[in-house]
Amino acid sequence: MAAAQSTRRRAIILLVLTAIILITLDLQNSSTISGLRSVFGTVFRPIESTTRVVTRPVNNAWHGIFDYNNVLDENDRLREQVAQQEGATIAAAASVRLAQELLALNGLPTLAGINAVTAQVIGDSPTNFSQTIEINQGSESGIRVGMPVLNAAGLVGKITKVFTDRAIVMLITDPDFALSIKVVNAPRAATTTTTIARSNAAVPSPVVPVDPGSSAGTTVETTTTTTTTTTIAGFTPTVTTLPAAPSGVSSITVPLASELAVRETGVIEGRGPSRQPIVRFIDNSLRFGDIQVGVPIVTAGGSQSLSPPDIMVGKVARVVERLGSAGPILEIELVADLSNLSFLRVLLYQPITEKPAP
Amino acid sequence: MNRFLTIMASRWTRLVLVLLIVLSLQTTVFTELRPFGVAVQVVLLMVVVAGSLFGVAIGSLTGLVAGLMYDMILPTPVGLGSLALGLAGATAGLLIYFFNEPTWWMRSIAVVVVSSLGEIYYPLVQATVGLDGWLQLRLLKVVLVVSICNLLLSPLAVLVCRWTLSERKTVA
Repeated sequence: MAAAQSTRRRAIILLVLTAIILITLDLQNSSTISGLRSVFGTVFRPIESTTRVVTRPVNNAWHGIFDYNNVLDENDRLREQVAQQEGATIAAAASVRLAQELLALNGLPTLAGINAVTAQVIGDSPTNFSQTIEINQGSESGIRVGMPVLNAAGLVGKITKVFTDRAIVMLITDPDFALSIKVVNAPRAATTTTTIARSNAAVPSPVVPVDPGSSAGTTVETTTTTTTTTTIAGFTPTVTTLPAAPSGVSSITVPLASELAVRETGVIEGRGPSRQPIVRFIDNSLRFGDIQVGVPIVTAGGSQSLSPPDIMVGKVARVVERLGSAGPILEIELVADLSNLSFLRVLLYQPITEKPAP
Repeated sequence: MNRFLTIMASRWTRLVLVLLIVLSLQTTVFTELRPFGVAVQVVLLMVVVAGSLFGVAIGSLTGLVAGLMYDMILPTPVGLGSLALGLAGATAGLLIYFFNEPTWWMRSIAVVVVSSLGEIYYPLVQATVGLDGWLQLRLLKVVLVVSICNLLLSPLAVLVCRWTLSERKTVA
């Protein structure tokens, strides 16, 4: 009896000590542990691949039984969505191209200038306590730890472990995920726009925006002869001169400086698969104003950020105000559907501070 | 040569080989089939059944080996899975220890209880090294689904564990 008790005690002590030593070694980035992982991966991958092939009929049967109706519904919904977005995509592509050209002209970094590797998702996390996926590209494709991973909609996560021919991606929803972002806050509804309308018989005249705070500078001429409304986003008016009113109808709406989008940085953090990620550390400044639901969240970029600027992350779903100067907490609705990932793009981007010296 | 054959024929070698297959099932079929969005934990099931059949020492060692193999494929620090699964194996052994001549349904209860505990150990151990954020309400759903699925799969796991971990008498 005493011997059995002693064996039990020894077994538990051995277990705890071994685990503590292993955890300590791995947290110290021991090369032995990395080597062991690599060797185990080499042994395990063929077994896993064989099992995947053998169990594919089981998977297919399961999805056929439990997911068939969902797939049908989703198919209908997606057809509708595709039809709606076809036109918008062409316009958006043209705008993106224009924006990239403008950024390139001004020597600013653009996503188009960053090399990327397309990868396929080959596995989900086997545990319930890690939001990761595995992709089929690794260090031999130039992938390094920390690189951002995107799908067609926006940011999905970042690389956390790289092997020769595969890599592990930590999703945005993992509680260990954190990344600096920008909240692009839209100002309140246009209440300060000055609109002057002149009427000439039955034909309406141009609308002239005037910024009372401005004094000198740019002259903008716009001529339209049909009934159109032109919105020049991002334009700060100073002195505006309009041509003589033609016989047609012309109308221009120019936002005032106070109506332009204001950006404020914060940090996005995951909270697990069942809860939306949050953004914290938003400065509660007067200039930034009240954050509205639906405003976009994009990556902040910067010399130390692991991600280039302006990758779409999501939009604000809820604003939780806090007392004092703590600033609000924002709940984010991600643009990427993390439950249904198949092909991803890894941006081969490293911040300047991470790049090896030439 | 004899020594090599003895090692290859030992139950620990069998355990490693069986766990490799179970782990491959975990990362393929049981990652895809997620009842209610929860991944069934067959590696945990093997450890719990080993503990309930063979006691604390075998249970904790099985957990240590299984956890170490699991750690090798997870992005979390190596040792977390070993500790969590080792503790689960030890708990299963301890629980059975309190029953005098445990019957099949006592073992089934042990599987359910320890599967639940084992699924809670992992986020607890993660939290001790600063990987917190997993102790949330969703854990209840995870625990419930994992324990029910493990209960359903336990007869098969008992057969596999008995075959794997029983000592064979060699004929000289």
